[in-house]
Amino acid sequence: MAREIEFREALREAMSEEMRADPRVYLIGEEVADYNGAYKVSKGMLEEFGPRRIIDTPISESGFAGLGIGSTMLGLRPIVEFMSWSFSLVAADQILNNAPKMLYMSGGQFGCPIVFRGNDGAGGQLGSTHSWCVESLYANVPGLKMIIPSNPHDAKGLLKSAIRDDNPVFCLESERLLSVKGDVPEGDYVVPIGEAVIHREGTDCTLVGFGRTVYFCEQAADELAREGISCEILDMRSIRPLDLDAIIRSVKKTNYCVVVDQSWSFASIGSEVAAEVHAACFDDLDNHVHRVHNDDVPAPYSHDLEQEMLPNARKICEAVRSVTYNA
Amino acid sequence: MSTTETANHVVENTVPVPDPEVLKSWLRDMLQIREFEVRSMQAYQNKLAGGFLHVYNGQEAVAVGCIAAMRHTDPVITAYRDHGHALARGLDPKIGFAELFGRIDGCAKGKGGSMHFFDRNNSMFGGHGIVGAQCPLGTGLAFATKYTEEVIKGGTSESVTACFLGDGALNQGSVHEAMNLAVIFNLPIVFCVENNRYAMGTAVGRCTASGNQITNRAVAFGMEARSIGGMDVIEVYREMKEIVDQVRATSKPYFVDIDTYRFKGHSMSDPRKYRTHEEEQEFEADDPIEKLTRYLLAQKAMTEEELKSLSKQVRLEIREAVNWARQSPVPDISELHHDVYADTWGDYTGTSLPGYMNPATDEDAATGEASNGS
Amino acid sequence: MPIDITMPRLSDTMETGTIVKWHVAAGDAVSAGDVIADVETDKATMEMQCYDDGTMVSIVVNEGSPVEVGTVVAVMAEEDEDIGDATPKPAAPATVPAPSQEPDPAAPAVEPDVIEAGGEDVASKPVDSVPADPPLTMRGHVRISPVARRIADEHGVDLASLAGSGPMGRIVKRDVLAAVGITKETAAAVPPGAGLSPASPASPSISNLPTTPVDSSSTSMPVKASDIPTPSGYGLQPWSEPLSGMRQTIARRLVESKTSIPHYQVSMVFDMDPMVQMRTQLNEQLAKHEVKLSMNDLVVRCCALAMYTNPLMNASWGGDCINYHGDVNVGVAISLPPERGGGLVVATIRNADRKSLRVINQESKELSKKARTKGLTIDEMADSTFTVSNLGMFGIDNFTAIINPPNSAILAVGAVQQKPVVRNGEVVVGHEMTATLSNDHRVVDGATAARYLSSLKELIENPGMALV
Repeated sequence: MAREIEFREALREAMSEEMRADPRVYLIGEEVADYNGAYKVSKGMLEEFGPRRIIDTPISESGFAGLGIGSTMLGLRPIVEFMSWSFSLVAADQILNNAPKMLYMSGGQFGCPIVFRGNDGAGGQLGSTHSWCVESLYANVPGLKMIIPSNPHDAKGLLKSAIRDDNPVFCLESERLLSVKGDVPEGDYVVPIGEAVIHREGTDCTLVGFGRTVYFCEQAADELAREGISCEILDMRSIRPLDLDAIIRSVKKTNYCVVVDQSWSFASIGSEVAAEVHAACFDDLDNHVHRVHNDDVPAPYSHDLEQEMLPNARKICEAVRSVTYNA
Repeated sequence: MSTTETANHVVENTVPVPDPEVLKSWLRDMLQIREFEVRSMQAYQNKLAGGFLHVYNGQEAVAVGCIAAMRHTDPVITAYRDHGHALARGLDPKIGFAELFGRIDGCAKGKGGSMHFFDRNNSMFGGHGIVGAQCPLGTGLAFATKYTEEVIKGGTSESVTACFLGDGALNQGSVHEAMNLAVIFNLPIVFCVENNRYAMGTAVGRCTASGNQITNRAVAFGMEARSIGGMDVIEVYREMKEIVDQVRATSKPYFVDIDTYRFKGHSMSDPRKYRTHEEEQEFEADDPIEKLTRYLLAQKAMTEEELKSLSKQVRLEIREAVNWARQSPVPDISELHHDVYADTWGDYTGTSLPGYMNPATDEDAATGEASNGS
Repeated sequence: MPIDITMPRLSDTMETGTIVKWHVAAGDAVSAGDVIADVETDKATMEMQCYDDGTMVSIVVNEGSPVEVGTVVAVMAEEDEDIGDATPKPAAPATVPAPSQEPDPAAPAVEPDVIEAGGEDVASKPVDSVPADPPLTMRGHVRISPVARRIADEHGVDLASLAGSGPMGRIVKRDVLAAVGITKETAAAVPPGAGLSPASPASPSISNLPTTPVDSSSTSMPVKASDIPTPSGYGLQPWSEPLSGMRQTIARRLVESKTSIPHYQVSMVFDMDPMVQMRTQLNEQLAKHEVKLSMNDLVVRCCALAMYTNPLMNASWGGDCINYHGDVNVGVAISLPPERGGGLVVATIRNADRKSLRVINQESKELSKKARTKGLTIDEMADSTFTVSNLGMFGIDNFTAIINPPNSAILAVGAVQQKPVVRNGEVVVGHEMTATLSNDHRVVDGATAARYLSSLKELIENPGMALV
């Protein structure tokens, strides 16, 4: 039975269901217990699971991220919540050096089944230090997986897959999406990591997005439809592994591709997808892949400036018109 | 017998000195570590070993004494100067050399190198390369034993984690975060600071506030702490035994400042211009191996002949280990893409344990007795 | 001394060559051994090497224009030569079929701003003697998107004839699609299109004509009187019709076929009484399903079945081998109406040996309708292994057709006609049809062709066999 629930509730269901099923799973992070979660994702979980499994930490990302990673070496399966992925930067050594490399540098002796999750990307006028989109930075590292769900259904299904995964999985959520509602099945189901989905079918141009940018793509596709341009929106859902086949299938159909990525353009997921599409679809492209990113500036505070910085619908429309020679 | 000044008070140590046979096994362990390091340096200069090499000469009493005070299932984790701990924990030296030489029979199949001696069978959770980064991991190990024993199994916490770090790590934020977490979560962990007086080439006093009494760091966290000598394996053992037993009983962390000395440089490329030859000679005269030897001879627990025979035996064992490791094949190129992910995905081709951990496939390695440690 | 670079002889039989791509442009430094161009010979596309060190002064022959071996295609200056002195010879290349006075047929179609851009580029180089405004393609590079190049290759569209509508004159997909007559609606696999894109610059030049003349090829379709332009004065008005992409393709491929394939024909007369009778019966019975089988449907079905028993016919010349195909895909020639620019396409009925008459009829009808209205997709025209061309509906009683490469045979089907025929020693009125099979002698020998026609005759004259 599916019912409509919020994105944050979908995340909570995923964690609670997995914690009921597996005592090795615990949730740790700032304000996850007593406070019910800074963004209420873990609301009520302390009550159900108690303070031994829902664990408040000091403001000490390097410490508790490392603690989580260390505990995986003895078989636990932690969920580490970063209040914001912006704060994960101080734990970069732990989450990039230890988690994804443990298996390799121990020659297969110690894996790292851990989930790091939290808000990523511009929240709303949070300024430069709190508006990080870490996906392009972190996706560069082999050994980790990365998921960025765009809707409650995928959020629950992907997070459950992540918790069961034997590798470190980075789950990037958006503060702007936590209140979005959507149909979510009750009970157990998973969305496999590494499978993209066609969010909307179209014929004239492929829009590749993930997370919040799927909504920007939707707005743009609506506007472009009025101009007679039919966009196909592909929701990547997983960044690592990347479902390149799905992207290629769509681009081979439309011959045009615009990648929408909310991180900066330089050495980014957008540039990675573009490079792969250029290689795989070379003879099917009628124009080079166009990319829409956050502007190459630190996130500003001012509302209008922030909106302009984002990979918004206007920029996507411009890119689609340009890539299809309708500019 | 010995008294140890802690941060606040003087404690009488009541741990008895172990039997001579135990002491002889420690001597053997320390000799093995020393000989392993000597041959490692030789191998490095012969280009058999690459990368960085940080040897443990002079600090053997610390690893051997500390680990002797623990149970074999108690987790041990350390930084990059990790050969001694792994050997003291029971890693077969030939597996260690194979790792140093980048061979498939190494403990990390040649993918880790000198800084990453892992040995799951012996509760050795690695050598870690980034200074201080092993401390949050160590708290995680302590958290995991406690969680498993109390939350999952519903019993009481009974494991103790030893997290080794150098004096240079004391100024890393992650170490402080780990200590704070260990205190507020009541984690059964001992932070064993191997205070060899130099953070690479920088003397403790030049880079560490209140460097003359580093236990002050622990006091600030409300953590019990003491300073002990690190050149006498008996002392190290007796102090650590007391500490480990206490931590096992209380499930509260402990901080121990172990005074020791690194006979060689930070790494193989270190000309040691930051300290005097006289200083080095002074500490070399305090060699922990000679100290234990003298003790055993004085106690008539061992004859000169026995000592010679033991030394020779260890030298032979290490020579054979080197030769064995030299025969080990370099990893197949397919190993490059192996062990990146725990499951099969994309170009990556799954994972498996190192050969020596799998008796079915490597009988020779599996039967190599854990002749040291525990 | 300036050095003339001439069209090299790159195969023992090569007489002319076409530079498909220049890798250098005027002003570029080159060294001996550099590959300066790709040359399409009669056999393959080969690399053209440079034998001296120096600087390219000018490109004399553009991409896409075939020239005889030995023709000066470019001029270079020696290493220490002032390239200003290396005056190229007056550009009078011995272009093989001189289609027009223009040295480069693409030039007039290039958008003005592109020409200016090209001019600036060249003007910035110290080459006084080079013509001021070389067209874009003279700079040694055709700007074309990859998918446009792929579609153009598949359809044999001459890139030089296309003017790109993309940035800097880039030839994009819609330009090629317009040239081959595929529109957005029809090109399921390769669109955006008509609705989104401005029409190709090539199309307006056609639609600017007051009227569209009737295609005069042998495959022209029925023409209503009202379609025929009424001349304003007496007599016919002379005019020159620029070639459409499709007309170019037809011309190129059929010339290639007729000149490179050793054609021969075998004919046979078929007694059509049983089939006429069966068709009448079937159509009476199928009338309530609104199905009406054409004689051509029956012929296609019989051709496919005959192929099944004569697999040696279902083959293609492969240069150093003969490729025998696993599927029997019968191409059906469809002529296009004048308002679509005339011409013809070959629609493919895939696996016709395994399809019922009803399915063949339906597919054939749909393909024909689509070809004449929206146009066919590439898929719908690809992969035929044999072709049937039927001019029976025009009352043609017998003709020969040119093989549609890479097929090795084509059946030219004439009209079913009432004739005095001899049956059982008596002259009676009967139905007859003549069909002529053109064959590629490299693949199909006379006896093979004859056996095929015999099989076909057996099927056609015993049409019940074609039903099951």
